[in-house]
Amino acid sequence: MTPMPHFAVYLIHTLFPPDVRRPTEIGADVMMGVVAIWIFVHMTRHHRWGWLWHEWFTTVDHKKIGVMYLVAALIMLFRGGIDALMMRTNLALPLHPVISAEEYNEVFTTHGVIMIFFMAMPFIFALFNAVIPLMIGARDVAFPRLNAVSFWLFAFGAALFNVAFVVGGSPNAGWTAYPPLTELAYNPGPGLNYYLMALIISGIGTTITGLNFLVTVLRLRAPGMTLMRMPMFVWSALNTSALILFAFPPLTVALLMTLLDRTAGTHFFTMGGGGMPMMYVNLFWLFGHPEVYIVVLPAFGVFSEVFATFSRKRLFGYDSMVLSMTAIMVLAYGTWVHHFFTMGAGPAVNAFFGVSTMLIAIPTGVKIFNWIFTMWGGRVRFTVAMLYAMAFIPTFILGGATGILLATVPADYQLHNSYFLVAHFHTMLIGGTVFGLLAGMYYWWPKMFGYSLRESQGKLAFWLFASGFWVTFGPQYLLGFSGMTRRMDTYPLGLGWHSLNVVSTVGAFIMGAAFLILVYNVLWSMRHGVRDQTGDPWNGRTLEWSLPSPVPEYNFACLPTVGERDAWWGVKEAFRRETGADEDAAPTPQVRAEDIRGLHLPRNTAYPFFLGASFFVFGFGVVFTWWIIAAIGFAGIACTLVYAWFDHDEHLPMPADEVRHHEATLGRLLA
Amino acid sequence: MATVVEQQQEAVTAGRGPTAGSALGAERALLRFLEPHFAGEGFPWTQLWGYVGSLVLTFAAFGLVIHHLLTPTALLGLVLVLAAGQASLQLGVFMHLRESRGPAWQVLPLGLSFAIGVGMIVASLWIMAFKWGVS
Ligand code: HEM
Ligand SMILES: [Cu+2]
Repeated sequence: MTPMPHFAVYLIHTLFPPDVRRPTEIGADVMMGVVAIWIFVHMTRHHRWGWLWHEWFTTVDHKKIGVMYLVAALIMLFRGGIDALMMRTNLALPLHPVISAEEYNEVFTTHGVIMIFFMAMPFIFALFNAVIPLMIGARDVAFPRLNAVSFWLFAFGAALFNVAFVVGGSPNAGWTAYPPLTELAYNPGPGLNYYLMALIISGIGTTITGLNFLVTVLRLRAPGMTLMRMPMFVWSALNTSALILFAFPPLTVALLMTLLDRTAGTHFFTMGGGGMPMMYVNLFWLFGHPEVYIVVLPAFGVFSEVFATFSRKRLFGYDSMVLSMTAIMVLAYGTWVHHFFTMGAGPAVNAFFGVSTMLIAIPTGVKIFNWIFTMWGGRVRFTVAMLYAMAFIPTFILGGATGILLATVPADYQLHNSYFLVAHFHTMLIGGTVFGLLAGMYYWWPKMFGYSLRESQGKLAFWLFASGFWVTFGPQYLLGFSGMTRRMDTYPLGLGWHSLNVVSTVGAFIMGAAFLILVYNVLWSMRHGVRDQTGDPWNGRTLEWSLPSPVPEYNFACLPTVGERDAWWGVKEAFRRETGADEDAAPTPQVRAEDIRGLHLPRNTAYPFFLGASFFVFGFGVVFTWWIIAAIGFAGIACTLVYAWFDHDEHLPMPADEVRHHEATLGRLLA
Repeated sequence: MATVVEQQQEAVTAGRGPTAGSALGAERALLRFLEPHFAGEGFPWTQLWGYVGSLVLTFAAFGLVIHHLLTPTALLGLVLVLAAGQASLQLGVFMHLRESRGPAWQVLPLGLSFAIGVGMIVASLWIMAFKWGVS
């Protein structure tokens, strides 16, 4: 340790090295500071801190946890989008780059990590939390407190990652973080440790979420809801959880080994020390390929619900949908080598994994046909959710076709790490995942918040977003063919790349504008959005639409009994037959007072928050290898866990009369 | 954690509606598997010893590797044996493998996990085999 007078200098140099003192960083710091102060003043002025703590930070209600995930995901989409625009600006101006090569490395790394781990993942968990228990007729997830633990591990992991560019320096080895780029000798400083710790911490949370939803779907279905009566979105949650359970451990192990290489002097992946960097690549993609299905299967689930609802038909080929989704889940474990064909593992290995990759096209194709046939002959309503779903089909066909090209090993030797690849994976991630998540957001928004998002504004955002997508990524396929490689911060003129890059950047700004309109759409609708009086604004088919919006804390006053697939639609059809009512009429579900019994709700608790906070402190200590801080964080983790272990007071009784009263105010109590 | 499970159980037992029939008794037995039964069972000595045991096994493997006490083949064999011990300890003590009531349906996911795990390891060895040709 440095003697005392030098300590302050040491601290400043470590926490604020030159690379966090660049104009972009300082600009961002100022902006964040202003926002933070604004939030602080606003919260204090309106005495909202207690509300925030009691209603949100200590909640274990899956619906509120879903809302918190959604807020986090939208904020991260903003940050990741700013990163994207910075990169695209640089690439449009090869003569006057706005950011340096070093900065470009940091920006594409944070962009990739944030979009995948801190935007797509929480967005998915937002939708799972918001509707899965409602769809299967349950009162919460299987382990409500662990659910809060998952959220706070994610939130503090994301916070740790976002601290990097303010304090200490950003990671810069790409979202894949291959060695030797990550070796301490070549990449000193805390940047990469941030990446490692943030992903380890949030990864623990993700693994727990996978476990939680697996148990929830398998064990908490309402009476009569057999597996083959589950809505497709529930199937997607089940398959996604199964993927998470096996995919995240290899990642955690690989990250932990890298961390040990950097902080404890081991040589798992250091070439000079006899380690095997290629083993990292293998482990990373053992996680990485299942991960791409983790982010796309939930979108498939959303589309299945959206197509059925807005075509006013039941999903075409339900059985084959279930089968193909499960087949994708299994096959997803057997294709990871296609991310490193060029490593040189030899023709047998490459041929095997090339073929296994192409096999996935079969179940995926089945699904595409089923979605199209669901619309066929249906009465299609062009809502925002439906527009995203329809825009997904051509996009995904393009992404699938280019994916098959990349799976062809000889072609991949040419296309690997070119802009063709960048265009391909954005086609899948935006056209698949983001379209799906936005469709789900517009579709379930009334259920989550009790009012709808204004359709006209949403449609404007949709058209800009979808067309901006094609303008951005169409030219990138061509750039790939003409030899532009991935992760370039700039390029010389005269290669024929400039005009295509300019077009691509224009497209990116169109998508940025679409995002702003989307945010405006949300803010406008918060004030003026149409209240959802019936709880069923879309004439939906699945159980969540039988509940009032927003859903009461206990979800179902009486747990439903399910007699068929599309359970709520069945109830409505029976009602229409009996009463001869108009074909879009829906009954208000009524419960008999004597059927309502007292319930136990999971009781709020603060320990998940403190567990996350302790992990944050621990992670921060490890990032700077300040072991005293790490020890304090570790002690915090241990204390919280011991506290949680002895805290058996986890039930909040809710007397039957309270439930009856609440149902009566909703007009749903049969006198 | 029991709340939600209990409520679901209640609903299942209450058995309203035509679908609630004889199969639900079995379902109830299955759900009981999820009930926590540490409450009232005294101090969890098994878990404590299991924890100590898992640490001992870990450090034994680490020590063997660090101190080069054995020939590579013997080392590999012994570490594998220790790993098998570790796995059974985790499954037996912490994953409640022995506490099944009713049909032992956890054999199915366990078999699946085993298949996936072995598949990943064997495939990784195959993929990385070229490395010996290179170096
Ligand atoms: C407005 C939309 C977006 C634009 C304009 C955009 C643009 C870019 C650019 C310019 C790069 C760097 C390419 C390079 O230099 O190699 C990149 C990389 C990447 N993007 Fe995006 N992106 C967008 C949305 C997304 C989304 C929604 C996701 C994921 C859900 C995503 C995931 C990634 C990943 C994983 C990388 C690779 C990072 C790396 O090389 O390590 N992007 N993106
Ligand atoms: Cu892949």
